[in-house]
Amino acid sequence: MTEILRVDQVTKTYGKRGEKQCQALKGVNFAVNSGEFVAIMGASGSGKTTLLNILSTLDKPTTGNVFINHQDNSTLNANQLADFRSKQIGFIFQDFNLLENLTNRENIALPLSLRGISPRKIDPLVDKIATRLGIKEILPKYPAEVSGGQKQRVAAARALVHEPAILLADEPTGALDSKSARELLFTMADLNQNDDITTLMVTHDPFAASFASRILFIKDGKIGEQMLKKGQSRQEFYHLLIDHLDTDE
Amino acid sequence: MIWKLSLTGIKSRFKDYAVLFSGLVVASMIFYMFLTITINPTFIKNDIVAPSNYVRFTFGFGIVLLVIITAIYLVYANSFLLSMRKHDYGMYMMLGAKSTKIGALIFLETLITGILATIVGILLGFGLTAIVSQLLISRLDLTVKHFAVVLPNAVIWTIIFFILIFLFGALKNVRKLTRTPVIELLRDDQKPVAYKRQPVLHWIQGTLGLVLLAVGYFILGLPGGAILFIIPAALVTIVAGSYFTFNAFFSALIGFLLNRRSFSYHGIRIFTLGQLKFRLHDYTRILTVVSLLFALALGAITVGLNFSTLSEQLKGNFYYDTTIISNSPKVMQAENKLTITRQQTFHYKEQGKYLYFNRSEFTNNPVKNVKFYMKNGQPAYKTIDLPTKKLDVPATYANNAFGAMVPNGIAKIIRLVSPEKWAAKTGQKKFVSFVNVKNFDQDYFTILKLQKQQLKENPAYADIYTSSKAGSYQLIKNFSSGFEFMGFFLGFAFLTMLASTLMFKVLSGAASDKVRYQMLFEIGTRVKILRQSIRNEIGVLFLLPGVLGVIDVLFGLRLFKLLLPHPYQNLWIPFTIFIVLYLIYYLLTVKLYEKIVLAHE
Repeated sequence: MTEILRVDQVTKTYGKRGEKQCQALKGVNFAVNSGEFVAIMGASGSGKTTLLNILSTLDKPTTGNVFINHQDNSTLNANQLADFRSKQIGFIFQDFNLLENLTNRENIALPLSLRGISPRKIDPLVDKIATRLGIKEILPKYPAEVSGGQKQRVAAARALVHEPAILLADEPTGALDSKSARELLFTMADLNQNDDITTLMVTHDPFAASFASRILFIKDGKIGEQMLKKGQSRQEFYHLLIDHLDTDE
Repeated sequence: MIWKLSLTGIKSRFKDYAVLFSGLVVASMIFYMFLTITINPTFIKNDIVAPSNYVRFTFGFGIVLLVIITAIYLVYANSFLLSMRKHDYGMYMMLGAKSTKIGALIFLETLITGILATIVGILLGFGLTAIVSQLLISRLDLTVKHFAVVLPNAVIWTIIFFILIFLFGALKNVRKLTRTPVIELLRDDQKPVAYKRQPVLHWIQGTLGLVLLAVGYFILGLPGGAILFIIPAALVTIVAGSYFTFNAFFSALIGFLLNRRSFSYHGIRIFTLGQLKFRLHDYTRILTVVSLLFALALGAITVGLNFSTLSEQLKGNFYYDTTIISNSPKVMQAENKLTITRQQTFHYKEQGKYLYFNRSEFTNNPVKNVKFYMKNGQPAYKTIDLPTKKLDVPATYANNAFGAMVPNGIAKIIRLVSPEKWAAKTGQKKFVSFVNVKNFDQDYFTILKLQKQQLKENPAYADIYTSSKAGSYQLIKNFSSGFEFMGFFLGFAFLTMLASTLMFKVLSGAASDKVRYQMLFEIGTRVKILRQSIRNEIGVLFLLPGVLGVIDVLFGLRLFKLLLPHPYQNLWIPFTIFIVLYLIYYLLTVKLYEKIVLAHE
């Protein structure tokens, strides 16, 4: 298995030197292999968001390095970072972040168009991913015309259409009702298992985390322990997780 | 407590406030300047040589237009103010502030911002008025003794006008905010926009828009006799045409481009087009207003500047540049300064009611004259020799024309006699000398001095003075400079306000656009490409009304064919001024917008 993501001794300190400083990340280390579905769990203030921002290259670590596909992010300038994000990373956000002035098809096509893919090739690629995610019928509609669950599928299609090295999902079910949330999570697990989509999901929801194959717990800016699903069913993994969280309290 | 919140709210958005505030200051400054120059009693009553009723009417018309544009401008500035504060107000209400209290707060905030801006604007307006009036006075060669820069009436009217508008705006803001649910105030940015898809209806409406515009332009070209029909008919068709064109035609066009994947699937184009599609829908009214005001403003400057062609054209109506009838030392002194290229001198003796000329002096030396006639319904001029034998035949063209060129030539009877008879005539011996100079413009002031001196020496010179080339030129130049000035400043005031109106409209939407740009940045769009998208999007919003306005002007100028000899002459001057100013506003809007939406990067 090849390593897709490596986080090496990453720290993040907010506040200027000499002033009151706040260390959000205190030396984070972990790696994600190709085809893995990893969840990072933690309470608010644990450093989840800071970590995700650094992984997605939107923020820079104070010390340490992040490698995605063996590329060290800290060596890239702003333009290279933008290009890097557009090629290597797919994003799913809690509040979908779809452009409501574009149709769903146009939303999904945008990353391809930004990467300069030939216009002739774009629509077939959009159709392919939309069919995979079961949203082909709603492609001509605007985001405002479809349900929250469908919106998140469109967002997932947009995140995956350019075949990124890794899918970063930030509380993807946070704004969904339980049925839509469940459907989305099954889809993500399905994509991971059958299409080998490497996924890193940040969440505080044990139900969502139980779909992952490995869970990392972040607390006070450090990765504590991890849980592996191994051969367990999702339900078993979920109960184990709940027990683990209870004892952790 | 709530006041403290409000103050900190303003402080935190000081930059946005500064833009709004300076916009309001500029508006009141220009308004005051215009009002002061227009209603300055010294200016109107004594100094502009033209029928004063006519001038009053023109300037009054200017003020009405200025009031309209200022009001529209303030409405949009006000909505920008509201969009900036909406979120804060929503937050106070969520925290439990009573809506009546918030209402009072909004009311006072709007009113105080407005009053402060008006006062600063008027103070700066004093300076602007002083500069502009000096420029104007020197341009017009006027001798204005007491031009009042601080005019109490203008101050009062500016304050009243602005306070009324702000009062109206404040009430509107209060109504709007207190009736909007708190949740919408807080999350307005995220409210989905409903977009109706009716392509067929759009194309029909778009075609109708273009047809109406074409009809309007056609009407503008109708013969001038039907002016009472032309203006209202053109106004209705062009306004409706512009509205439909913006509402349907342009969005249909953008929809068409969006669906041409080979065009739209290029870089960020698809996003820019999507933004524009929604924008245009929301901007229909303002783009219509801007295109029409743009046309009015550009038209005002073009026509104003064009009035100067009147005085240029006038120079061609005279054959001789000046007339000399005296050889006093002062006159001789002035005469010596002229670059005379041709001089025809005729001697005569004034006896009772007769002026006796020596016929021999006219042999091979005919008096020249420029004759006016109509050619294909247009005024035309040609140079002719006045036939010598008809010079003393009453009621002939030659007799009348010559009479007007000689002191007392109309009042007395002109006789041409043989040299012998002339020698025998008694009476005061005089002469009249018709002069051509090398360059009239260069010698203009010397000629004026020479003519004034002769008028002082001889009251009979008065007739010649007023109908002389220099005299008429002076008169029409004052008149046309007044128009030129009016057109220029009215146009300038219009342009600054309409461009700021558009600017505020664009900026009002910036807060909600921020999320989109942030998202594009996150999925890996280079900042350079985001900037390019912003430039293109705002560029189209500025360009469309600008282009439509230019077309309106090009057709509208046909109306002025009756009044002006060449309405299309030197078109590039006003167009260049306009385009440069408009471009500056465009760049400013882009910069401010970028500052708001790209704040994170």
